[in-house]
Amino acid sequence: MPPAPGRIKRAALKYTIIGSLAVMLIWCWIGTEMGSFDLVGSGPRIADFLDRMFPPDLTWTSSQNRPFAPPLRIALTTVAITLQISLLGTAIGFVLAIVLGFLAAENLTPHWVHHPLKIALALLRSIPVILLALLFVTAVGLGAVPGVLAIGVHSVGMLGKLFAEEVEGADGGVWEAMDSAGANWLQKVRYAIWPQVAAQIYSLTLFRLEMNIRESAVLGLVGVAGLGLWIENYRRAFDYPSVATLVIVTMMVVLVVEQLSIYIRRKLK
Amino acid sequence: MIIKIEYLEVRYGRNPPVLSIDNLSIERGERVAIIGPSGAGKSTLLRTIKGYMRPSQGKVEVMGVNLATARRRERQPINRRIGVIYQQFNLIPRLSVARNVLCGRLGLTSRWRSLLGIFSAEDHAIAWSAICEVGLSKKAHQRADTLSGGEQQRVAVARALAQQPTIILADEPVSSVDPAWAEDILELILEVQTHHQATLVMSLHQPDLARRFADRIIGLRDGRVVFDAAPASVTDTRLKELYRGHDSLPLNDNATRSGKDQTRSA
Repeated sequence: MPPAPGRIKRAALKYTIIGSLAVMLIWCWIGTEMGSFDLVGSGPRIADFLDRMFPPDLTWTSSQNRPFAPPLRIALTTVAITLQISLLGTAIGFVLAIVLGFLAAENLTPHWVHHPLKIALALLRSIPVILLALLFVTAVGLGAVPGVLAIGVHSVGMLGKLFAEEVEGADGGVWEAMDSAGANWLQKVRYAIWPQVAAQIYSLTLFRLEMNIRESAVLGLVGVAGLGLWIENYRRAFDYPSVATLVIVTMMVVLVVEQLSIYIRRKLK
Repeated sequence: MIIKIEYLEVRYGRNPPVLSIDNLSIERGERVAIIGPSGAGKSTLLRTIKGYMRPSQGKVEVMGVNLATARRRERQPINRRIGVIYQQFNLIPRLSVARNVLCGRLGLTSRWRSLLGIFSAEDHAIAWSAICEVGLSKKAHQRADTLSGGEQQRVAVARALAQQPTIILADEPVSSVDPAWAEDILELILEVQTHHQATLVMSLHQPDLARRFADRIIGLRDGRVVFDAAPASVTDTRLKELYRGHDSLPLNDNATRSGKDQTRSA
C-alpha cells in the first residue's frame, strides 16, 4: 500500500497539539501551586474534618444550647424554597426564551432582528448564575427573589440559544406549505415550526430545570434563601454534623430530580 | 383566461434569466403538464405562478391580478386559492392526518382561534370531505409520519383541497412516491381537479405520464417554451429534441426506476 498523502503533516499537527496541551497543564500546575500541596501532611486534617461531620445530625427537637433549629427541620423548609426558586426561575426563563429564542432564529426573522438578539442572549448566559445572584442580592436585597431573578436571567440566555438552534433545524418545506395555504407568520410558527420542535424544547427545559435546582442550592453562599444558605450558617457555627445532614439532603434532592427528569425526557421522545 | 403570461423574464440576481416566456395562457379547467430536463425552469415557472418568484420583467396575471405589480393585500386572496402539492409532501410529521388537512384552512379561518388549535365546524366539514375524497377516512387520526409515501401524498392532496382551490399546482408530485403508486396519485389528482373544477398545472419528470394524464404539454428547455401541444402531437422525436444532451430520456417507467429520481422511501 502506498503511504497516505499528507501523513507527515497530520502527524506533525497531532504532536503539536499533544505538546501544547502538556505545556498548558504544566503552566496550570505551577500556577495553582499543586506542587506544594502536601497530601500526606493534610491527611489528618481531612480525617479530622470528616470525623467532626460524622455522624450527621438527625435530631428533630431543638435545644437551648444551640444557635439554630435542628437541620432536619430546616431541611423541610429550605428544600421547598430551593425548589420554588428554581421552578419559578426556570418558568420565567422558559417563557422569555420562547419569545426571544424564536425571534433569534435565522429562518424566522430578518437579520436585523435575529443578529442583535443572538448577541443579547450570549451576553445573558455569559454571566455565571452565582455572579448574577450576587448582583441581584446587592440590587434587591437578601431572600429568594434575587435567586429567582438570577436563575431566570441565566436560563433565558441558555434556553433562548438552544430553542433558536432547534427552530433553525426545522424542515422548511412545511413552512412553505403553510405559507401556500395562506397562513400568517404566527400561524406558520404555530403549525410549521412548533410541532417539529416542541418535544425537544420541553426536554431542554427539563434539563435546564435539573441544572437550576443544583445551581440554586449553591446560591445560599451569596445570601439567597435555600439549602446553601443554611449549609453556610451551620458551617460558620462549626456545626459540622448539621452541615453533613444538609449536604446529604441536597444530594438526595438532586438525585431524585435527575432521575425524574431522565424518566420524563425519555417519555417525551 | 385564468393564467396569462406575457414577455416574462425571471432571473436570480444579475445572472441570465432562468425563465423567459413570451406568451403563455392557461384556460380555466385545463390540465397542463410541464416537462423538460432538470434545470429547465419547471419549478421556477410554478413558483412564479404561485407568486413566490417576482418576475424581473413582463406580466404574470393570475385570476385577473398582475402578480408583478399587485400589493400584498391583493395577492393574498389569490394565494389562498392556489393549492400546492410538493414533491416531498411537506406534511407536519407529528400531527395527525386530520390536523394536517385542517392546516389547509389556515388562510381562510379565524387567525386567533387557529393559534389555539381551534377550527370552525365548517373547517372540520371541509377537511373531512377532503379526507374522504382521497380515501383516507380510516386513517384520519393516525400520525402523518406513520403513513407510506403514497398515503402521505394523498394527505397533501387533501390539504390542498381544504383550500378549496381554483388552481392546483403540483411540483413533481410523484417523484418521491413508489413508482407503483405514481399512477394512482396522478389519477386521484385528476379526479379531484375535475370534481372541484380547478385548473391543474403540474411539472412531471416522466414525459410518459404527462402524455397519459395531461391534455396539454408544455416542453421547457433553458427557461424557454420549446413546444406547447396536445399529448398526441408530442412525439418521441420532439421529446428527444427536448432532452437533447441531458441524462437519459425518461421515456418509460423502467427508465425512471434506474434514473436519478428513484423512489426515496419515506
